[in-house]
Amino acid sequence: MDVWLIAGILFKILVVVGISQGAVAYLILVERKIAAYAQDRIGPNRCGREVRLPFGLLQPIADGAKMLLKEDVIPSYVNKPLYILAPAIAIIAATIGFAVVPFGPVGPSAPTALGAPFQFQIAPGVDVGIVYVFAVGSLGVYAVVLAGWASNNKYAFLGGLRSSAQLISYEVPLGLSILGMVLIARSLDLNKIIEWQDRNVWGIFIQPIGFLLFLISSFAETNRLPFDLPESEQELVGGFHTEYSAMKFGMFFLGEYLNIITTSYLVVILFLGGWDLPFLNAGQTGWLPAFLKAFVLLGKVGAIVVFIMWVRWTLPRFRYDQLMDLAWKTMIPLAILNLVATAIVVQYAWGH
Amino acid sequence: MTVSLADPMFRAIVGVVLGALGTFLLLPHRLGAAPTWARSLSGVLLSVLSIAFLASLWQVPASAFNAIFFFAFAAAAITASVLMITSRDPVHSALWFAAVVLATSGLFLLAGASFLAAGTVIVYAGAIIVTFLFVIMLAQQQGRAVYDRAARAPLLTAVTCFLILGGLVYSLLSLKVEHAEAGHGLVRPIDRVAIEHPTSPNRQVLNRSVSPTARLNEPARVSPTETVPEVAGLGASLFTDHLISVEVAGFLLFVALVACLAIATPKPPKRPAVNITPTEVPI
Repeated sequence: MDVWLIAGILFKILVVVGISQGAVAYLILVERKIAAYAQDRIGPNRCGREVRLPFGLLQPIADGAKMLLKEDVIPSYVNKPLYILAPAIAIIAATIGFAVVPFGPVGPSAPTALGAPFQFQIAPGVDVGIVYVFAVGSLGVYAVVLAGWASNNKYAFLGGLRSSAQLISYEVPLGLSILGMVLIARSLDLNKIIEWQDRNVWGIFIQPIGFLLFLISSFAETNRLPFDLPESEQELVGGFHTEYSAMKFGMFFLGEYLNIITTSYLVVILFLGGWDLPFLNAGQTGWLPAFLKAFVLLGKVGAIVVFIMWVRWTLPRFRYDQLMDLAWKTMIPLAILNLVATAIVVQYAWGH
Repeated sequence: MTVSLADPMFRAIVGVVLGALGTFLLLPHRLGAAPTWARSLSGVLLSVLSIAFLASLWQVPASAFNAIFFFAFAAAAITASVLMITSRDPVHSALWFAAVVLATSGLFLLAGASFLAAGTVIVYAGAIIVTFLFVIMLAQQQGRAVYDRAARAPLLTAVTCFLILGGLVYSLLSLKVEHAEAGHGLVRPIDRVAIEHPTSPNRQVLNRSVSPTARLNEPARVSPTETVPEVAGLGASLFTDHLISVEVAGFLLFVALVACLAIATPKPPKRPAVNITPTEVPI
């Protein structure tokens, strides 16, 4: 029984890691296409023409081959162990966060296979799911900081310093913004939060401020524009990854996009009802509703990802002091107010 | 009282004493002088002996998986902490510290304390050590200075640390002897029901080490078969049994915060008082 359990978990890890890495490859294509439309261009459209595939659908393969086959330069002046460790941390920290993210129905509504319920989650039943995601996410800082320091280059170093300050600052509103939702759903387990939203109402309607704060801080946590100060090309050449080439640079890229996927999953699970739609609810078991729920979840995640990419071409980058003011003087006080107000309502108005 | 090597308490005492001696010999000199070979070698030998004595007290956890993970995390934590102390580069030290924190939270996780594990990673690895790195990187120290290589009071340090270790091992061992017949080992993966049970070793350690400081109202007792969500249980215990401790800790942190602000606020630059006579000062 133990063997089957472990085999099942390994299978799920394989599928989730495989799909997410493949998704990242196509997200890069999507990003380039959206960038092209935003700038009134066509974007990549040649790859795959030979086999009659539209929209440059084979572009990710070409991009991946380029990353792998380019010359891997390690400058002589870098701190070699840390220089090599940094991209590895980026990709590991981004990948292991998926362990507690439900990508379909989990718990009582899970379909059964071989007599046991098949949970759409690598590690089901983790009480502190959301805290685990934050813990793993907070390790991602090391990748940027170490890359900046080990490169022994002033642009990279400045990028690393900016980044560590930015990531630490925005972790505070990120953590505070979800607490309202946690108080209302009375659980840190992501599945219980989805079930609560399925029974009642989506989180975005009951915690609009929390949603907004979470979305903004997750832009900052994933280093996306308008918060891409660690790499800002016009000021710092390439920021923390100036000295990286070939697949080591590719690994930072991969880590960043994996973070975007995780963040989008969290936004959807916490505030957009997870797999919940008016005709889908926790009572439906079986494989068809299960896959339907997984696809609904995936669709919502895709919409959030596209939104994140769209924002990149809409808003200009913040100045550094504006960035810090936004986090410490606006978002953290707002998040605390939201938390206190929610706590009062939950305690006294709902009489839990 | 007979003394033999079969007595775990005797082995524990020998292990702790040898460890203290070995560590004292390994610690750098008070003035930063280079240690001799004989001193270092005997220090290493004594420390290895001490670890062997203490290791003979371990019991292998019931499940093989737990055993593998436990020994992997424990070995990682000890190795990383030795490397953290011995590495010359402060940045490497900070990173080994992060490794220690990660390995320790792995051990917390095995003991069923998942919130503690995640919280430790967030607070230590995710915030405090990053701040250390931030400062170290800005200061660009290389750790070559004499005051970095010297130990201020090696003897006192070794004695104090191993007194604490001795106390810890003693309390755990006396517990193990009482419950040997019940099949509870020193190291055992635990589920929450087992922790809540009033005669479980964990509950006993808890009762001995952390006595309640305050109690607002009688906390709702859970029956041994019922599981409460871990975080809710932790919060309930903190804010009923240990309210005063929590408030005192919070107050201390708040005072420290105010002090930080007082120190960090930039003061107006002082003008050189050389050429200023009272008549020249603008009003």
